[in-house]
Amino acid sequence: MNRLLYLGKRLLLAVPVFLFGITMSFLIMYRGPIDPVLNILGQDATPADVRQLKIALGIIYPDGTPVPLWSQYFKVVTDLVTLDFGQSWIIQRGTAVTDLILNRMPATLWLGFWSVVIALAFGIPGGLYAGLRANTWRDYITSGGGIIWRAMPNFWLAVMFVGVLSAGGALSFYQDLLIQTDVIGTPDALGNMFGSAHVFAGVPLLEALWIPIPNLENLAIAVKWIFPAALVLGSASMGNEIRIGRTAVLESINSKYVQTAKAKGVSGRRIVTKHVGRNALIPLLPVIMGEFYLLIGGSVLVEKVFSIRGLGNMFFRGMLGPDIPLVMALVFLFIVVNITLNISQDILYTFIDPRITLEDTER
Amino acid sequence: MSGEQFEPDFSRREEEPLLSVRNLQTAFFTDRETIRAVDDVSFDIYRGETVGIVGESGSGKSVTARSIMGLIESPGRVLEGSSIRFKGQELTDYSDAQYREIRGSGIGMVFQDPQQSLNPVYTVGNQIREALRINRDITGQEAVEEATDLLESVGIPDAKRRLDEYPHEFSGGMRQRAVIAMMLACEPDLLIADEPTTALDVTIQAQILDLLKDIQEERDLAILFITHDMGVIADISDRVNVMYAGQIVEKASVENIFERPEHPYTRALIESIPGEHSRKEGLNTIDGEVPTPHEPADHCRFAPRCPEAFGACSEVAPVHVDVGETIEHTAACLLYPEAMTEADRVEHHRARGTTGESETERDTK
Repeated sequence: MNRLLYLGKRLLLAVPVFLFGITMSFLIMYRGPIDPVLNILGQDATPADVRQLKIALGIIYPDGTPVPLWSQYFKVVTDLVTLDFGQSWIIQRGTAVTDLILNRMPATLWLGFWSVVIALAFGIPGGLYAGLRANTWRDYITSGGGIIWRAMPNFWLAVMFVGVLSAGGALSFYQDLLIQTDVIGTPDALGNMFGSAHVFAGVPLLEALWIPIPNLENLAIAVKWIFPAALVLGSASMGNEIRIGRTAVLESINSKYVQTAKAKGVSGRRIVTKHVGRNALIPLLPVIMGEFYLLIGGSVLVEKVFSIRGLGNMFFRGMLGPDIPLVMALVFLFIVVNITLNISQDILYTFIDPRITLEDTER
Repeated sequence: MSGEQFEPDFSRREEEPLLSVRNLQTAFFTDRETIRAVDDVSFDIYRGETVGIVGESGSGKSVTARSIMGLIESPGRVLEGSSIRFKGQELTDYSDAQYREIRGSGIGMVFQDPQQSLNPVYTVGNQIREALRINRDITGQEAVEEATDLLESVGIPDAKRRLDEYPHEFSGGMRQRAVIAMMLACEPDLLIADEPTTALDVTIQAQILDLLKDIQEERDLAILFITHDMGVIADISDRVNVMYAGQIVEKASVENIFERPEHPYTRALIESIPGEHSRKEGLNTIDGEVPTPHEPADHCRFAPRCPEAFGACSEVAPVHVDVGETIEHTAACLLYPEAMTEADRVEHHRARGTTGESETERDTK
């Protein structure tokens, strides 16, 4: 009940955050230096065409007077809130923005998923390992690695990866390793990882689970293809997790409650899994949750360098367009995801750490 | 006059001591220096009694306790030649796994800060049940009932409900009671209490001391009580070891320590307790601070702060000699045995020190 109340309160507080983000994006797009009309029609447009397009885009009224900015703003916000995202202006003129986003979503989710997996799979154990062997050479190598991964900026790392992995690069053999894949571009395999048949087809009840049978070859191609880009995108989070995980483990393992647990005869392994683990998770939670933003937000940069047909790449092109409905829809999506992650992080805290309660006045 | 006459007699009782610490040396080795935190400490604890260790901060009290528990971690270690015998078993030879068996069910330990000695993310009941499961194989509903009984026995009202509460929902005193209950869940023979009342206010402190006394009576528990507070020591101990810079400088029954303190350090400690005399003359203090011992002792470590120090104090390491009319009152000080002349005393200490035949080794034979 308290959590529900808290959730309601947080959602209410999210409204101004949401409006602020939308308003800033609106002002930048609508008062920015880029002219969508010019970009759509080109230099040779006739004044009549321009006039017609401006009416179509809602910039001027049919009688030629400009639509006031507040009126345009009001329309944009109402459309977004009612989930009416409109049609693309430039990227694919006339296509519904929702279709465009759904079309590009898989690549971004795939990239985000693997960057989170890579970061979690190496970052958390790495931090635990370094923390448990603090101040040994093993620790120095692990946490030193963490600092290096954290320090390498994505724009540089992405370019370096593409450089060494493409034809002529030092690691170009990666393309032919096990299964033939490209490093840049988006393979068709991504869209065909699963066949149309389902694992439980024909089985009553379980059929509803709708678990598709994977196409193993395409799946392998998609995994291998995304790995370098996902490593770049996940590198910073991975480094963060190693560093913060190490500190958290170290702090917990030297705490009095671990001493007390030892004094009552708890085994070393159980001390790590039970007493250290959950306490070390507390400072790691924001890092992990921040990572999940990668799932949807992806990275404009990594998608651009690796030529991945994802949301980030499209967002960038939309900004240059400017494909205002598309950009506003993506901004809307990013804000919603971000707010959701933040709220769920605060609620998750209460499950991990009983000292954190959501009520304002307790005791 | 023969030195033998002043040999301390430790073998006062027929029974075997529960815990017998001999020549315990624990040192920490860092790149910069070696710190001999505990240097040649010996004492016994018998069933059902409370032995106190008292001394200033940094005198090695806690390291002594952690050495007994086998909780000394790198860069520290218990040096060769140290002996810790518990129920006749030599603990210094034990592996980690063997030590784990002793911890809890053999020797339990309560730490100074009850705010931090319970894991904040698990309920008090969970942590007591963990102790029950590991040490006594009690699980399930039986464990819940046993844990409730334990909480009640340490004076926590409404125990059943409080089992499901988290440590932060307990007050400081309640938390220390919960820690004691958790240690009692292990059914130890010996409880090491390392400054268990220091972080608590005075009324709660008195309650916890009373609780420890009650538990001791009920369970015939031996307690090693560590504190810097002479008042607490007077309240709870049967016998007292006064520690200074990693060494025990005087050992006696609690009556003798307060009525007939012989070592200048013990006297200074007692004089620095606020009381009647301090109101008139101002509180006596001991100038300076406890030195950090880096080398094996080749002199009296208290000498620089000692009002009664003389030339030989900085050249000869004192050994324990009998100082009282009663048995078991010894002090490591060149002022004793009092019956001898100064030159004889120094020679007596030097001879026993250099032959390496300290009373502690003789005692174990």
